[in-house]
Amino acid sequence: MKALADGLKRGDRGCIARCISIAEDEPEAFSKLIKGIYDPNRIPRVIGITGPPGCGKSSLIAQLAPIIASHGNKLGIIAIDASSPFSGGSFLGNRIRMEETVSSSNIFMRSIATRGAKGGLAASIMSALITLSCAGFDTVIVESVGAGQADVDILDIASTILLVLAPGLGDEIQAMKAGTMEIADIFVINKSDLEGAYQAKRAITAYLSTLSGPQSKMIANTSCTKKEGIKDLAGMIEKHEKSINTKSFIERAFSMEVNRIAKELLSRRVDGLLARNPHAMSNMLKGRVDPYSAAVKLLDTEKKHGK
Amino acid sequence: MASGRNQKSSRPIRVLLAKPAIDGHDRGVYVLARAFRDAGMEVIYPGLLPTPEEMVRIAIDEDVDVIAISLLNGSHMTIFKKVMELLKKNHAEGIAVVGGGIIPAGDKPMLEKMGVSGNYGPGTPMSDIIDHIKKRARESRSKKW
Ligand SMILES: Nc1nc2c(ncn2[C@@H]2O[C@H](COP(=O)(O)OP(=O)(O)O)[C@@H](O)[C@H]2O)c(=O)[nH]1
Ligand SMILES: [Mg+2]
Repeated sequence: MKALADGLKRGDRGCIARCISIAEDEPEAFSKLIKGIYDPNRIPRVIGITGPPGCGKSSLIAQLAPIIASHGNKLGIIAIDASSPFSGGSFLGNRIRMEETVSSSNIFMRSIATRGAKGGLAASIMSALITLSCAGFDTVIVESVGAGQADVDILDIASTILLVLAPGLGDEIQAMKAGTMEIADIFVINKSDLEGAYQAKRAITAYLSTLSGPQSKMIANTSCTKKEGIKDLAGMIEKHEKSINTKSFIERAFSMEVNRIAKELLSRRVDGLLARNPHAMSNMLKGRVDPYSAAVKLLDTEKKHGK
Repeated sequence: MASGRNQKSSRPIRVLLAKPAIDGHDRGVYVLARAFRDAGMEVIYPGLLPTPEEMVRIAIDEDVDVIAISLLNGSHMTIFKKVMELLKKNHAEGIAVVGGGIIPAGDKPMLEKMGVSGNYGPGTPMSDIIDHIKKRARESRSKKW
C-alpha cells in the first residue's frame, strides 16, 4: 500500500490505474490508501460532457483535449459507459474515437463502467477524481453515459457542463427539456457539417428564450470531421470556468459523495434485516404491528445492539 | 442494487480486446466483444489494432487483467514477442496475454513458452475461450496489489 501511494504521488501510470480499480472495488481500502496524501484543495476541476449516444461526445473530447492540455493544464479523461444490468459486463468503446489523441499526446485516459449506477456516472467517480488529484491532475474531462433525462449526476461534479447534440435530434431536444437541458452551461451542436445544424441552433435558442432570469448559457457549433469550431468551444469553456466559483463545486461534490456512501452503508445494514429478526414477520402476520412500525422498530433495535 | 439482482461482489474481469477490424472481418470483433460482455466482463475496445506499445499502455492505464489479441495475418510472432517484452519492461508482467486467430500449430509451443496462452483458432467454442480468459484473469489478479 505504501509503495502504491508513493507511486501515485509520483504520477506512475500503473499506480494511478491500480488506485482507480481499488476505488471501484474496495472503497474501504481506498480510504486508507489516500489518507495523508490527498488535499481537498487540489481536486481537479471537471468538464462534463453529456448528450445522446452517437452525437459525437468522444470525437469532440479527442479534439478538445489537446487544446485544453496546451493551456498548461495537467489533463485526464474519464469516459463512462453503461454496464449491462443482466450480465454486469460492459462494452467500453469510447477509446475508439480517442485513442489517436491519447496516444499522441500521452494524456491519461480511463474507461469506467457504471456498474449499476443510474445517473450517468459510476459510483467510483469521485474517488477516481481524488486519485487523479493525488497524481497532480488539475483538469479532468468526464464523458457521461448520456442516455436521457436521468443522466444529471454530472451536475454534482462538473464545474462546466457541455450538452452535445447533433442535427436531426429535434424530438430528442423536445424530450430532453425536463432534465438535461437545464444543467447545460454550453450547448454544442456537433456535426454542424450536416444538414439541419441551423434548425438545431434555432430550436435551442427558442428553448433558451423561454427561460426566465439572466441567461449565461452559450451555444457552439462544431464539426469533428471538418475540425471546425473546436477552438471557439475551448474558449467558451475557459470563459465559463472563469465566471464561477470552483470552491462551491467541491462542496457539492463532497456532499453528493457522503450522501451516496451513507446510503450505501445503510442499505447494507438493511439487507437481511427481516431474516435476522424472524419474530417481526410473525408479529406482522398476527396483526400486532404494521410494516411501517416494524421497519422503524427493527432499525432502532439493531442500532442499539450495535449492528 | 436497486434492481434487486444478485450483484457479484467480485470485480468484473477487465479485458483489453485487440483485434484488427479488417473489412468484412470486423463483425468478428463485435461478436467477441459481445460474448465477453455477456459473460460479465468489462471489455475495453480501442478500435483499429493498436501497436504493441499502445496495447501495453492501454492495458496498464485501464488496469486490465487480460489482453486478448486476435491476429489473422501471420504477424503474431513479432507482435506477441514485443507485447511480452514491453509488459516486462513496464513491470506489468502480471497482466495475462491470451492469443487467438490464425496461428500455425507449429508456432503454438513457442507462444506458450513466451507466456501467451490459449492461441485458439477459428471455430473454437466461445465458452472455451471465455473459460480460459476467466482462468487467466484469476491468476493475473492474484499477482496484483
Ligand atoms: N458528420 C459528422 N460525424 C461525426 C462528427 N463527430 C462525430 N461523428 C461521428 O459520429 C459517430 C459517433 O461518434 P462518437 O464520438 O462515438 O459519439 P458519442 O457516442 O457521443 O461518444 C462516429 O461515427 C463519428 O465518426 C461530426 O462532427 N460530423
Ligand atoms: Mg462516446
